[in-house]
Amino acid sequence: MSDTTTGAAQSTGEEPLGYEAAREQLIEVVGRLESGGTSLEESLRLWEQAEELARTCQTWLDGARERLDAVLGEQDS
Amino acid sequence: MALETSPEAPAPVRQVAMLVGQWINKLGAVWVEGQVSQLNRRAGSATVFLTLRDTLADVSVTVTTPRATLDAMSPPLVEGASVLVHAKPSFWTARGSFSLAAREIRAVGLGELLARLERLRQLLAAEGLFATERKRPLPFLPRRVGLVTARGSAAERDVVENARRRFPGVVVETAYASVQGHRAAAEVIAGVERLDAHPEVDVIVVARGGGNVEDLLPFSDEGLVRAVAAARTPVVSAIGHEQDTPLLDLVADVRASTPTDAARRVVPDLEEEVAGIRATRDVARAVVVRRVEREQAGLDAIRARPSMADPRTMLAARGDEVTALRDRARRTLGHRLDRAADDVDHRRARARALSPLATLRRGYAVVTDADGHLVSATGAAVGVDVRIRVADGRLVATTTAVEADPAGAGPDEEEDA
Repeated sequence: MSDTTTGAAQSTGEEPLGYEAAREQLIEVVGRLESGGTSLEESLRLWEQAEELARTCQTWLDGARERLDAVLGEQDS
Repeated sequence: MALETSPEAPAPVRQVAMLVGQWINKLGAVWVEGQVSQLNRRAGSATVFLTLRDTLADVSVTVTTPRATLDAMSPPLVEGASVLVHAKPSFWTARGSFSLAAREIRAVGLGELLARLERLRQLLAAEGLFATERKRPLPFLPRRVGLVTARGSAAERDVVENARRRFPGVVVETAYASVQGHRAAAEVIAGVERLDAHPEVDVIVVARGGGNVEDLLPFSDEGLVRAVAAARTPVVSAIGHEQDTPLLDLVADVRASTPTDAARRVVPDLEEEVAGIRATRDVARAVVVRRVEREQAGLDAIRARPSMADPRTMLAARGDEVTALRDRARRTLGHRLDRAADDVDHRRARARALSPLATLRRGYAVVTDADGHLVSATGAAVGVDVRIRVADGRLVATTTAVEADPAGAGPDEEEDA
C-alpha cells in the first residue's frame, strides 16, 4: 500500500490547485478510499483530503458560475 | 488656285461660296459610318434631312437623301440606328451650308454591330483588361456607395431602396448620367471618374434597366471599359437583364445580374449580421453553461459516493467488522465451553455407567473375599467370610451354602471393584 504523498494533495501554501488538478486528485483519493485495504488512520486522512479537494472544485465551479451570471445578467437586463 | 483678296479688293460672297463649293466637290463620294441622331421626314418634300453623328466624338453632320432611298430601307431607319452612308460632300452655295448628299444608306445590321462588338471584346481581352486577377474584392461595409445611373430611373430606385433596406445607414453618392443614346458613354465615364476620385466612395455601381442591344451599346463603349479598368475603386456592373452582358460586365470587378442584386452585393444585411452575431454569442454562452453544468454534475456524483457522502459508513464498516469479530470470538468460546461441558457430562456419565454404584443401587452387590478378589460360586467354601459392597456401604458375611450355576460365567477377573 503506497503511502500517499500528502504534500501533493494539500494545496496549503502554494497558490490554489487548478480545477482539473483538484478534480483528478479527488477521483484518485476517492478511488483509493473505496478500494479499502488502508488503515483506519489512513482512511480518515484520505477522507479529509477528499473533502478538501471537493471544496476546491466547488469553489472553482461557483466562481465560474458567478462570472457567467455577471455577464449574462448584464446582457439580459 | 489661291484667291487674291485684300480689304481693298474683297471677293464677293458668291465668289467665295462658289470657290468653297468647288473645293468641296473635289472630295468625291465617301463611305461614312455614324449614328442617326435626328431624322425628319417633311411631308411632301422629295428629300429627307437627317443628322449623322460620330459614334465616339461629339461631331455630327447633316445628310440629305432622296425619300426613295430612305423608303427602300427595311427595317426602316430609326433614330439612334448605326448606319453606313455612301455620300458625296456637297455645298449649297445659296445658303452656304455643307451637307452630305447620300446616294445609299445601309443600316449597320445587328449582326454587324455584334461582330464589331466581338472584335472590340477580343481586342480588350487581349490587353488583359478582363483578367480575373485584376478583379478587386468589394469592401464589406463601404463608407459611401457611388452610383452612376439615369436620374429618377427604376434602376436608381432599385439600388437605393434595396441598399437602404439592407443597411439603413448606407450613404449613396449618385452621379447622374444619361444611359441612352450617343452621349451616354461619355456621361457614364464622367460619372465613374468623379466617383472614383471621391475619397469616401469605396465602391461604384453602374446601373441601367433593360434595353435592346443598341440601347446597351454605350455600356460596351471602349472608352468606358478603359475608364473602369483604370478606376481605383471597385466597380459593380448592373446593366440590363440577367442575360445582357455588355463589355462593362467583363471589366467590372463584380457583375450584378440586376440593380437590386447590385444593392445586395455592396452592403451587408444589417439584420442578418446582427442575428448572426447574436446566434454565435448564444452558442458560445450555451457551450460554457453546459460545460459548467457537466462539471458540477461530475462533482456532485463524486460527492454522492458513499465514502464521501456518509463517511460514517467507513467507520461503520470497521465497527461491523469488529462486532463481527467479537461475535465470532464469543461464539467460538461458547462452542468450546459447551463442548467442554458436554465432555464432562459425557465422562461423568461414563464414569457413572462404569462405576458399580448405579448397579449396586439397583440391588446388586459386589462380593469379594478377604483378599478383595471376587468370589466365584464354583469353588467357594462354606463358612468363609465374604465382604459384600452394597450401594450404601459394606457388609461382612459368612457363607452358609454354595450353589454353583453351571451355565453362569465366572466373574471378570480383570474388572476392578
